[in-house]
Formats: sequence, structure tokens, C-alpha cells
Amino acid sequence: MKRPTQISDDAEKWLSETLEAARQRTGDEVARRRVWARLEALLSGNSLPLLRGRSLALPALTGALVAVGVVAVLWLVPATRPNHLPAMAKRAASSVASVSQPSPVASRVVSQGSSATPVRTGRGEKARVALLGGAGVDLDANSVLSWDAERRPSVERGQARFEVPHQAPGARFAVSAGPYVISVVGTKFHVGVDDDRVSVEVEQGVVEVWRGARSVRLVQGDSWAGPIRGLDSMVGDRRPSLAGASSRRASAADSPVRAENGPASVELAAARSALSQGRPEDALTMLTHCAKGVGPAAENAAYEMGRVLRDGLRRPRAAVTAWVTYRTRFPNGLLRAETDLSILETLARVGDRAAALVEVESFLARYPNSERRDEVARLAARLRGATGP
Amino acid sequence: MNQQNSAGSPRPRPAVDDRALVERFRNGDPLASRALYERYSQPVFRFVSSLGVPPEEREDASQDVFVAVFRGLKQFRGEAQLSTWIYRIAARHASHLGRRRRMRSFLSILPWHEVEPEPQPDPAEKASELRLLDRLLAKLSPKKRMVLVLFEIEGLGVNEIAKVMGCPPNTVWSRLRHARAELVKAARRIAT
Repeated sequence: MKRPTQISDDAEKWLSETLEAARQRTGDEVARRRVWARLEALLSGNSLPLLRGRSLALPALTGALVAVGVVAVLWLVPATRPNHLPAMAKRAASSVASVSQPSPVASRVVSQGSSATPVRTGRGEKARVALLGGAGVDLDANSVLSWDAERRPSVERGQARFEVPHQAPGARFAVSAGPYVISVVGTKFHVGVDDDRVSVEVEQGVVEVWRGARSVRLVQGDSWAGPIRGLDSMVGDRRPSLAGASSRRASAADSPVRAENGPASVELAAARSALSQGRPEDALTMLTHCAKGVGPAAENAAYEMGRVLRDGLRRPRAAVTAWVTYRTRFPNGLLRAETDLSILETLARVGDRAAALVEVESFLARYPNSERRDEVARLAARLRGATGP
Repeated sequence: MNQQNSAGSPRPRPAVDDRALVERFRNGDPLASRALYERYSQPVFRFVSSLGVPPEEREDASQDVFVAVFRGLKQFRGEAQLSTWIYRIAARHASHLGRRRRMRSFLSILPWHEVEPEPQPDPAEKASELRLLDRLLAKLSPKKRMVLVLFEIEGLGVNEIAKVMGCPPNTVWSRLRHARAELVKAARRIAT
């Protein structure tokens, strides 16, 4: 059969070129890795959930009408509205949505994700909200939890206690409160917002509170409070834990978060766009420039330089050098685990077994609880077998 | 996913073929699932993106597709190519998400329903023409869009598309012709 008429004029030429660009769309590698980390956990636990959407194939009009009715009811009652929970959490949460307990204190269990309707609690009411990434928040009475423009949960008023499970490599969980962003990897903490102050208290783990490019790092037992209005800086009243945990003030350079702001983030976006359009050299130039700065965008750029060198320009050795530079510059960076994995995978791929083995052993020692541990351990066994006694 | 794109240029053939990987997966080889994911995650991300799944939902959508793939692999009979089967799962899921978005959009016109924020663009695609292409593709009906995406972007042949969509090849040709004509017309309108 003959192919439809080929494109000829300017608009058609543009269309043809853009379709070609769409064929090169690669997606976000870190996002793909996050998905794999979740899938691997499900596969290893042999707990793949039931498929959603099979019932959509039901052709019967009655079934469709019932489904429309149920969906309409769900969406018209804000407290029970299902949202963009991760697939697994959604299915789990669907069975607990909207449970009311009357006296002495009313409480609700709400399934919410990003971009959801704000959750408000009245006098004497509490609510438990399930969030993206398996996190949860207990809202105290007279509190409001909403989602900000970047789809982070935002405590607008009142008291909230967050429980965040350990996040996948490269991922961080962030909560906004007034002008501050609280960023964590996995922890339990309280956030309070009143008319003029935001307060944070860390129950477990480590928390970073950001305002613009400045931040303060809090450890278990620390509490901190800062003004909502006034100085656009990290002025806060910080009380270290009684256990004497270190109370240094973190700078933007040594402890970045994934949130990217300002001109550097624009350059980073342009670099990603260049990469998606098949211009890895341009992307590398932009990333190199961006990585010279400070803050989250610089850290992300320093990491992505390695990806462009390895995947876009087919220069795996140079990629390893770039990642080692990242590691030297951001020893506790957010993408450190991803970087370590990238280095060891690349070394194994180019056949540098000895160096790969060193990296593998260092990874296993550094991340004993990583979800990639088994996979890396198998790689170690293979490398040991290949290098001989 | 396919071995040949729409321009007719061959794509590199993987070292281990799909059937061997499926067999290894069935025998409990944990590396097989990783290999399958590495092989198909990018096409699935691209496919759901092209079908209009917004950036903030793509990660979940891809995860759902692979959960379905890994659950169903033991029953996969191999009558179709593995790629066709995965596309079919991804297409069904993207359609499901599309219906849900349309329902949400329909309900948002009700006066007591709170307006949801517009989906944020993917930062990686901010400066590109892809967002404009997505807007043009959104003007097509879901079936025409799917045919066009499978043919022009994913590079599937008409017979394979027919298997993915469960319709005769002639229907695929017809939808493809209409989809291309509508897309070109919309592109010309924007150009003027």
C-alpha cells in the first residue's frame, strides 16, 4: 500500500522537522531511574498490584454510566477526590479514603496528590493525608494544606507532621511553608505556620530549610523558626538539639536541592532542550557554563555533563571524569548516589573491571540499604569472576 | 521498539532478542526485568508523552505500564511482537488517562467545582517546538492521534498499528490520511 503524500510546503516542512524531534524525545533519565527503583522494589517483594483500567474495556453502556456516576460523585466531593498519587499508592489509598470518626476529635483520612484541592481542618478536626512518594502528613486542627505552583505540598496555616519514607536515589521530597522550602530525603518533622512565622522541628533524619539560594540544615531534635515577611534571607531562630548535633549553617553550594531557580535554571532547561533536539555539543557547552555557578542548577548541570558525554557524545571516559569532578565538588550532593552508580556502570561497560570493582565495593559500603544494592552486588560478583583471583 | 522507523532507516538490533528476554524473565532471572525496562522505558515515556499525558503524570503512567507488562509477561503467548504488546498496553493506559482528564475538564465547568491549575510544561522541552506539536496533536481525535503517533513518531508499520489498535489495516490508513491532513492544516493556520 502506498504511503500518504509527503510533506512539501513550509508548514509541512516544519511539521516534518518537529516530528523528527519528537522521535528523538528521550524523557528524563532520573525519572526513569526512579520508576525502575519502584518497580524493582515491587518485583523483589513479588507484590505487583492489580492492573488498573481493565474495566475500561467493558463495552456495556450500563457499566459506563455507572462508572461515570461513580467518578462524578468522587470528583464532586473534594475530601474523597482521588488524585495524582503514584500508581501503587493510589490503589492502596483508595481503600481508606474519607473515613470519619466523630467524637471526641473528628478525624479524616484523605488521599491526595499534587495539584489537589486544599485540605482544611476545622476546630477539633484532624486529617491524615497520603502524599506522593508514599509520604504522609497529619494535619492538626485549624490547618490548611495545599499544593504550590511547583506541586509541592504547602502548609498554609496551622500545624502539620510529615512522615517521609526514604526517597529513591536522586529524589527529594519538598514541602513549602510561606517563603521557605523544606527539603528532605527521608524523615519525620513538624511544620507550623502562623500569621508571621514558620517553624520546623525535626523528629528524625535531616531537613534543609531553604529560602531563595540560602538554607539551614537541621538534624534530629533541632527546631527552627523564621519570619514569613521581611528580610529575604535565611534569618531564623535556630535551636540545636540537646544531643549537641552540629549546628553549622549550610551554604547553597555544599548542600543543593533539586529545585532549580533563576537564570541558571533557564540555561539548564536550554541545555536539556538542545540535547533532546540532538545537539549534544551545544548541550555540553551550556551545561559546562551552568555548572560553574552555585546552587541546585549548578549541581544538576555538573551531573548531566556526564550523561551528555556518555550518551550523547559517546565519550564514556570523559563522562567518568565529569562525574568524578561532580563527586569532588558535591561530596554530599543530592545526586551523589546516582553519580556513583553512573560511574560504576560506565566503568563496567567500557571494560575497566578493576576500577569498576573498586567503585562497586565503595558503593556497597556507602549505601548498605540502597534498593540497587542487590543489583550492584551481582555486578560485583560478575566483575570478581572476570578479574580472577 | 520497532526495528524500522518511519523514514525507513533500520534501527540497531539488540544483542539479546525479546523472546530470550521474556523466557529469562519467566525463569526468574532478575536481570531480565531490568533489561526489558532499559529496552522499553524510553519508548514508553516517549509514547505516553506524544499521546498527551502531561509531564507530571508521565512517571506514574510509565510505571503503570510496566507493572502491567511484568504482571502479564507470564501469560504473553508471543503471537504478536513484544513491542506491539507493550504499545497496546501503553495505548490503553494513555487512553484511560485521557478519558479521566476529559472527565475532569468537563466537571471543572461546574460552578462549584474548583478549577485545577494548568499542567506545567516539561522543563526539558521548554525551548523546543515539541510543545507546539503537542498542541496540534491535541486537536486530533484520540484514535487519529494514536495512529499518527504510532506511524510518524514510533515508526510502526500499518499492520503492527492495526494489531495495537485492534482494527483493520485499511482503517489505519484512513485514519492516518485524515490525521496528516488535519495536522498539516492546523500547522498552516499557525504559520499564517
